Amino acid sequence: MELRGETELTQEISRLRRELALREREAADNALQLERYAADLREVFLEERSRAQELKRSYYATVRALSNAVEARDAYTGKHAERVAAYGVEIARAYGLASPDAPEIEFGFLLHDIGKVAISDSILHKPDALTDEERRKVRRHPEKGEQILHGIEFLQDAAKVVRSHHERWDGSGYPDHLRGDEIPVAARVFAVADVFDALTTERPYRPASTIAQARSMIKAGSGTQFDPRVIEAFNTIGDETFEQIGQRIR
Amino acid sequence: MTRAVLVVDDDQFIRKLVATTLEDVSEFDLHEASDGVEALEVAQEKQPAIVFLDVDMPRMDGIDTCRRMRQDPLTNHATIVMLTAAHGDQTERLAVEAGADMFLTKPFSPLELLRLVDRLGDNR
Repeated sequence: MELRGETELTQEISRLRRELALREREAADNALQLERYAADLREVFLEERSRAQELKRSYYATVRALSNAVEARDAYTGKHAERVAAYGVEIARAYGLASPDAPEIEFGFLLHDIGKVAISDSILHKPDALTDEERRKVRRHPEKGEQILHGIEFLQDAAKVVRSHHERWDGSGYPDHLRGDEIPVAARVFAVADVFDALTTERPYRPASTIAQARSMIKAGSGTQFDPRVIEAFNTIGDETFEQIGQRIR
Repeated sequence: MTRAVLVVDDDQFIRKLVATTLEDVSEFDLHEASDGVEALEVAQEKQPAIVFLDVDMPRMDGIDTCRRMRQDPLTNHATIVMLTAAHGDQTERLAVEAGADMFLTKPFSPLELLRLVDRLGDNR
């Protein structure tokens, strides 16, 4: 009786051992299978990341090419758009806007004058004063620019800057006579960068202002032409930052 | 036209994994079976376009199941993908003789699984 019980127990133990070995093999196989999933996940992630970077680079290259095409018609502004974009990014950063991961703001700065492609050479390059009709045509370039970018999804933030880059804080700008916070913040930042670059760049009819001169002229426009808070942010940026950009992009 | 996929494996973990991987990605309805006998029943009812078939299973193994599916006019149109272990030349030969179309080696790549189902789905 006791002997039979012992035999059964021994059999039961070896059955359990076999069962355990089987389960262990299964668990090991399943672990391998999960490792395979992890490997594929990593592969997909790396692929996706490099595609996103590639996309970003080609967006940037496309915008640069467009911006250069606009600049090419304008002999004496040189690399104005590129410089304005660099100044604008600095001011936006000081204002707490731009992050290196969000190039949308920079796109708007680079493309601000894209609407000028719709203005004829005879007007754009006219050495004399413009007639009222010609001036009206020139002043339509922000709207034209916005239309050009219409439907390009990754440039919709930029399109807002393009439309509003000639608005003024006091509402006397164009085309929509927006006032204060109605003006998109990136366009308010742009306005300062644009004037700063214009002042510090030499023109056929006047020499370049120094940074100190440009600063005081811009300060005088705070609250009328410019958003006072943007001017505050602008004032926190040291001369050397602007000097470096001016020397790098010329 | 049937748009069903049948996953046959005695390991619930694998069935769950395959089902979860294919969920919402393909247009196929997913069905599961845990051995060959159950697989034949489900296959006759659902007439799947694709069958993933494990080899080692209780009651009826994958090779035998594959052969029977090929002999049944209700199920012989399916694309049969054998789930095999890495070292199984002999198994693969038997599976081909039984009418298997392709192999997915365990541990299988989920990407390979997805691409395979995508490809087979497009060919319909």
